[in-house]
Amino acid sequence: MSSNKVVEHFQPNFEAWIQQFNEWQSRIGFESSWLGDYQFEIKFDWGTAGDNIEFGDFEGMPKWERRMQVPQQNIRDAIINMVSVQGDTEFASVEQQWHLLESAPTEYDRKSALRIMCEEQRHGWQMAYVLCNYFGDHGIREAQKLLERNSSANPIRGEDDRPRLLGSFNEPINHWIDFFMFTHFIDRDGKFQLKMLSTSSFKPLAASMGPMLKEESFHLGTGANGIRRIVTQGVIPCALIQKYVNKWVSTGLDLFGVDESTSAEWAYVYGIKGRYDERDSEVDADRKHLNEESRGHYFDELKKEMVAINARRKDGEPGLLIPSDKFNRSVGKFKGDRHDIYGNPFEGGDEEWEQYIHDSLPSDEDEAQLEEYFKEEWIQFRELKE
Amino acid sequence: MQAHVLLSIDREQIQPFFERVPELFEAYHGLESQNPEGYHELLYRVYRPYTNRMFDMIDEWMGFGQRSWHSDVGREVVLMLYAIRYPDTLLLESLSDEVFLDIRRISGYLHFMKHTYTIWDEDTRKGLARLGINIPSTDRADPFIYGAYISAIELLKELAPFYSFMEHDVPRQRLFQAALAGYGREG
Repeated sequence: MSSNKVVEHFQPNFEAWIQQFNEWQSRIGFESSWLGDYQFEIKFDWGTAGDNIEFGDFEGMPKWERRMQVPQQNIRDAIINMVSVQGDTEFASVEQQWHLLESAPTEYDRKSALRIMCEEQRHGWQMAYVLCNYFGDHGIREAQKLLERNSSANPIRGEDDRPRLLGSFNEPINHWIDFFMFTHFIDRDGKFQLKMLSTSSFKPLAASMGPMLKEESFHLGTGANGIRRIVTQGVIPCALIQKYVNKWVSTGLDLFGVDESTSAEWAYVYGIKGRYDERDSEVDADRKHLNEESRGHYFDELKKEMVAINARRKDGEPGLLIPSDKFNRSVGKFKGDRHDIYGNPFEGGDEEWEQYIHDSLPSDEDEAQLEEYFKEEWIQFRELKE
Repeated sequence: MQAHVLLSIDREQIQPFFERVPELFEAYHGLESQNPEGYHELLYRVYRPYTNRMFDMIDEWMGFGQRSWHSDVGREVVLMLYAIRYPDTLLLESLSDEVFLDIRRISGYLHFMKHTYTIWDEDTRKGLARLGINIPSTDRADPFIYGAYISAIELLKELAPFYSFMEHDVPRQRLFQAALAGYGREG
């Protein structure tokens, strides 16, 4: 097996899925002509996938390259579930974001967003390919479902009865502040998920992650740069930006799943999803707290990134901060708890809490205020090169 | 030259470099002599239509003295910069000797005005040599030598595994060029 491979000939079941994909693009409002000469390719990096299972109860055995090598049906089901969730997020983000193309602040931003949407669709293709080609009828059905669910936030075809699987992917992305926050905070979660799957015991899944991670780094960079450029420009006050940080960080933290997760533990036991730093870590995994550990790495990275963003602030602007991991959580042990953005227990009644949430998260008034700022030069200009 | 570079690459020889790209980049790009803040500013402050001030800013970052070109030469360079499309290098042949004899300067303009072309740098050339990619040393803007240089860096970008791609605020060409320069200095 060569170390890098682009698949050029597809099986009939994947060809059929491509037809469904084309229909999906039309349904959600994404015009295929926007892709220009971009070609969707199936890419595997077998060189970074590893030959032997790297952790869990099957450690040391050869990685599974085909469905029938996977020793138990429940492991096959768990792999299908992992691939489906990953694929679901890829298509969802396009449903959430494509409508922003016409309001891009610069041509550079429009092209960057378009490239991200092309690559997210390619990632979705990759996951559908794995489902269709490695998991028989069950996989084919799950690949179809990737195109049947729809982000509730899609401006043309939002569907509350068949929403996308994860909360962040049903959140509306109303404008470019949301877009940069999403690519910085939510795509960063995506990087963590892809990295955790890059050591998977199912080799085609592990080999899919290298090319996806390479592309994902551009998506994160677009988000981080976008926020830095907004802060550098200094038109939108940091106090207003902070509210969007509060919103997207809390939903990003939720994406790592429940605490003391048994499904994360089983995924580790099966070797299908490792820790973020699986290949570098010198300590044994705490199998009962895998999601907490990943979330902790993510949280630390957010704080580090925020230092770089704050360095661009104009004089007199308050520093942006990453809110506490206890604030505004919908998943995990702090779900529904009342903590302020610093992590202190909230002292006050229901009415005061509602006011605090109103003041800490974007409100309708904030959205209206943003529209006014968007009439100015609100983001540092960057030229589209070439 | 380009075909030779692309065909003769030794994947085992380049692997140790790929594992160190983020560390090498951070160390080299962060050097005081590299003025990282100034570099980042140029990414945003150089755009069409190109002005003398933009050339001055690039010259300053690259450490060059005042340009003393005849006005015709300046116009010729600007026209070349508008016309050239990555990865073409043959247009360099159309330049007058005053410019043609200075590959570093012209590569700096190409880098900051296009973000795709790579800065020509002796340490980077040595870094490529350590990977088994031998690019001749030159001061001239030879389109074939410079073409081989940028093609080699483009190929490394293509072959690099995901862990070479750190998150950063620079074009990927700069990421690999700076990492290669750091690697070249070690040798």
